[in-house]
Amino acid sequence: MTVDRTKLATERVIGVAALVVAVLAPTLFSAFWLNSILTQALILGIGAASLIFLSAYGGMISLAQTGLMGIAGYALANMVTQRVPGGETKGLLLGWDPTVGLVAAILLTVGIGLVFGAVASRSYGIYFLMLTLTYTVIAFLFVGSVTLIGGFSPVAGVDTYTPGFIGDIVTDRERLYYITLITAVFVYLLVRYLVRTPFGVSLQGIRDEPVRMASLGYNVALHRTIAFGIGAFIAALAGVLSAWWFGQLSPTTMGLDATIQMLVIAVIGGLRRIEGAWLGAIAFLMINNEITNRIPSSGLPVIGGTFNTVIGFIFLAIVIVSPDGLMGLWDRMWDALRRRGGPPHAEPEGGEPAAVASS
Amino acid sequence: MKVGKWKLLLPLALLAVGATIGTSGALATPAQANEVRFAIMTDCKGAFAFGYEVDTAGTIAALSQYAGAKPKNKKKPSAGMTGGSAGGKRLNLVGIGCGDETPALALKETRRLMVQLRADIMLGPLSGDEAVSIAQWARQNPAKTVIIGTAGSQDPTMQIAPKNLFRYHGDGAQWNAGLGEIVYKRLGWRTAALIGDDYSFPWTSAAGIIADFCGIGGRITKRVWTPPAGGDYAPFIRQLPRPNQVDGYFWLVGGANTSAALTAFEQAYGPLNARQHSGNLFLYFLGANTTVAPRLVGAYMGGFGTFQTGGLKNAQARNYVRNASRWFTGQNVNDGFFYNYWNAAWAMVQGLNKSKGAVGPALQRALPRSLKPGFQVANKGVLRLDSRRQAIQDQYPLQITRASGEGTVSTSIVGYVPNVDQTFGGYFGPNKPAPGRNYPPCVKRKLPWQGKIKVVKNGVITNQVIK
Amino acid sequence: MAERIRAWGVVGTVPRALAAGLVVFAILYVLVIADPPDEFGGGNWRTTNTGSALDDPSTFLTTVLDGLTFAGLLFIVASGFSLIFGLMRVVNMAHGAFYLLGGYIAYEIQQRMTGSGFGLNPTEVNTLEWVVPWLVAMVCIGVFGLAVQQLLLRWNQGQDLRQALITIAVSVIVADQVIAHFPRTVPAGTQQFGGNAVSISWPGWTNRLVDLHVGGVTYSLSRLVMLALGAAVGLALFLWLHKTKTGMVIRAGVDDRQMTAAIGINIQTTFALAFLVGSALAAFGATVGGSQASIAQGRDGEWLLFSLVVVIIGGMGSLAGAAVGSVLYGLVFAFAVAYLPTTGNECCTQYSVVLTFALMALVLAFRPQGLFGRAA
Repeated sequence: MTVDRTKLATERVIGVAALVVAVLAPTLFSAFWLNSILTQALILGIGAASLIFLSAYGGMISLAQTGLMGIAGYALANMVTQRVPGGETKGLLLGWDPTVGLVAAILLTVGIGLVFGAVASRSYGIYFLMLTLTYTVIAFLFVGSVTLIGGFSPVAGVDTYTPGFIGDIVTDRERLYYITLITAVFVYLLVRYLVRTPFGVSLQGIRDEPVRMASLGYNVALHRTIAFGIGAFIAALAGVLSAWWFGQLSPTTMGLDATIQMLVIAVIGGLRRIEGAWLGAIAFLMINNEITNRIPSSGLPVIGGTFNTVIGFIFLAIVIVSPDGLMGLWDRMWDALRRRGGPPHAEPEGGEPAAVASS
Repeated sequence: MKVGKWKLLLPLALLAVGATIGTSGALATPAQANEVRFAIMTDCKGAFAFGYEVDTAGTIAALSQYAGAKPKNKKKPSAGMTGGSAGGKRLNLVGIGCGDETPALALKETRRLMVQLRADIMLGPLSGDEAVSIAQWARQNPAKTVIIGTAGSQDPTMQIAPKNLFRYHGDGAQWNAGLGEIVYKRLGWRTAALIGDDYSFPWTSAAGIIADFCGIGGRITKRVWTPPAGGDYAPFIRQLPRPNQVDGYFWLVGGANTSAALTAFEQAYGPLNARQHSGNLFLYFLGANTTVAPRLVGAYMGGFGTFQTGGLKNAQARNYVRNASRWFTGQNVNDGFFYNYWNAAWAMVQGLNKSKGAVGPALQRALPRSLKPGFQVANKGVLRLDSRRQAIQDQYPLQITRASGEGTVSTSIVGYVPNVDQTFGGYFGPNKPAPGRNYPPCVKRKLPWQGKIKVVKNGVITNQVIK
Repeated sequence: MAERIRAWGVVGTVPRALAAGLVVFAILYVLVIADPPDEFGGGNWRTTNTGSALDDPSTFLTTVLDGLTFAGLLFIVASGFSLIFGLMRVVNMAHGAFYLLGGYIAYEIQQRMTGSGFGLNPTEVNTLEWVVPWLVAMVCIGVFGLAVQQLLLRWNQGQDLRQALITIAVSVIVADQVIAHFPRTVPAGTQQFGGNAVSISWPGWTNRLVDLHVGGVTYSLSRLVMLALGAAVGLALFLWLHKTKTGMVIRAGVDDRQMTAAIGINIQTTFALAFLVGSALAAFGATVGGSQASIAQGRDGEWLLFSLVVVIIGGMGSLAGAAVGSVLYGLVFAFAVAYLPTTGNECCTQYSVVLTFALMALVLAFRPQGLFGRAA
């Protein structure tokens, strides 16, 4: 038991240390790192958190999160950008008040998420994965096809029309960083809180025993739908931040590559613990940045290929060695310590994690 | 506490290692005052991946010619360059961006090159939607300077037109100037349908064709836009009028799909008759010279404002070809990609020389408003920029011809369209929409070059006009 | 609680009725409601390119044929995907990457056989020069798939999400490597590698139109061959699974893995065989698809999506489901392009792809396991 307590304490120490580093980041890191690695990692982490929330507590591995992020971003961009000469050229350019637009974009995304969730609520495991993948594809094709709201050209200017309390994030990137950091902490606390509520507890019951929970009178489909709606809310936050960070929207941010990238981030971090979202995102971006700068053109030595080959092998190794990602590795390390330190435990050990093994 | 200290140390060590890696990447190398940092932005993935070496070759060749640089590897342009200075400062090529024709990646790469690697000038990008994206970025970053490499969308220098963005070549519409008139006069087309991919470059490309063809009195009876990921072209081809219902077809389907779309056409309506088909540069350039062009020998097509082989026979063109050919082996300097990046790099050198190596607004003021590129003939061979820093360029409609080798084809210049401006004499404009699925409308109107397109024979511009 | 569930049920029937209404409306629209366009391109919601089936029966017929022949190709690719899933519960997300690799292999072989064949006239290609590339590609990809299965998927059977993740990793690596190393044979002055577009040529004799003797419609022979190949694959798989001993073992394995193993049948050999055949079918499809359209980077994701959609509509692991899914997808796609309303120059062909994906969402909303699938 002491090991568990030590583990908890260690995690707390690391967590607080990470938070301190994050708060001090603007003074510690170069502007590029702050903006392109840390801010982006926090945003991708929020997106991955929406995926991990559904997977860890709802048993649903959703590939719709990138699609939902895109929907939120496109909704926002279409609502807030204005028609001015020499300005933006694509999208509806509705010119709404940015605060109204922000709220409306998030609400719209949650609404679409609830519809998606209701349709998918009766699918499980691998079916759920594929169905949610097609949601993202539909969003991608819809935005690409309907030139009124964008088409394949980029919709720009979303970062210049921000609500007053967000302020100028185009020139003041530190500001955007802190907004993102606050949102990430909020999402983390929200998920931690939600899973302790009665809803969260019954959701986890449904994850493990859907049939039994149904026979106990729980509305399984409704629970899963609402969980999906919450996931859509988190994804919407990530989508809005991503739109502000990127400044432009284009359908490829919802393409198959981006979708798989989000899954890779979540898997690298670990599909069972929410902390894995940000861990996976920062690991992914650091690898990406290092490799892109090191092998710019001629491809990898000997075998050829680009960053994708490297990340593919890393992904493969992680899925083979530790399907629960880095967080799973961490947990198993402590399990090993526990086995060494104390008497054998009655709990089931290591083996296959529920989220990945069953369907 | 029974746990040994090392059990806590391990994760902390991991954290330390992570932080070290992080900060090592985060530490910036100090900038040197005596250098100019610039970057090339092109594609290395996607349909235009082959542009990577060609674009880099064009850039480095021009810098070798005009700024004393030297290619590192004559066979592999992307190996980079050594030496080179302009305006008294050393030229530092900080990186070559690798896009995939999507705006998202182009923007990401732009940030990497211009922010992380701290370039002040960018030569690029390669394709239409990328340029829209980067123009929007440039608008927010007025201290950086962008000289478009070879992208053909209209918006960057028309509706968006930030002050720090320059383009020394035509857009997709300009590249097709004259084509509509030639098929109208030479082949007697009066009605035509067009089919293209559903994004900004084919729309812009179509706009040039529509302006010309409708301007002289032709009628576009159908526009079909094919979405990506369709898988099968047959149903789209059937949306086109049958061969006996129109005089001809304009093809604006690009990349991997041109050949598939033509196959679907053959399967629907039988063998292709080259007199009934025309299109933009997708029919010959960008790899289509082996898959598409051999099936359409004799067809008229738009281009780049350049030509693949057997080009213009005048001193300025010969001079360019001689200079440009010196630096790399296996590069076709007549290629539009090579030529456009060459001119962009050349303009950069002139600008830096004038600004004495200063970048930012000083460079933007100093960048030349006129250039003497190889294939400009009008105004005594001087190409001018308009007030939105967009080239007014000569155009050369082409015809696909059979070449000497078995099964190989080439192009020959059939016409000379002088001084094509981006607005087509007011047909397009900054306050009008960018070309779209249904814009511009098909209307008869006078274009500045209408009836003045000169016949080109064996690379020599004659005094006859096309009839 | 029970009342709430009932209330949920009542709410649930409303979308059902709506969906049924939509389907009926779409069929009626194509058959009778659609109008041909007037002379000057104006129109309303009823205006289509050619009008309804009654107005223009031959367009209707060719649209049906376009849909069916494309379905033949879809089925070849998707049946391999479905076979692997049906037996082993492995969603092979690398199926698209296998397609890409198979297509390039077939292209390289055909180039070697015909000499410099770029831009070659289809009539110059004889049957052998199409069949050999096709067979070689199938063998290569079959063996490659088998290796992937033995190395990466054998020791973790039953963990279907983990296996899907493994195949995603494989697909990322394979696709990237294919782009880095293909196409190898290119004409002088053209960029080698980089996943550029290449085409395989159909054998010359398919390059003509045949008169169907129905309403004066002529139709492409190569497209009819495509349909025939799809049907042949379907028939062969049916005979294999239902009339041979191996096939019965496979089907028994689908029904009850432990029991099959318990009565002494080596299920591992059967799994290996199924993966080999399933992968080989990706290469089969790629050869046909590369002849019909082209092989280029990006096709991998495209065909993975097509396979997913077809199999999700039809029901995972069901041969009949894959067939029905292919036909539905092919028809909806072809009809969406041809019969979405048009006004003026603006045609709605751009929206056809969205519609095919909407079809899938519709099916799944009411049958989560697909039309022919068993409850998950």
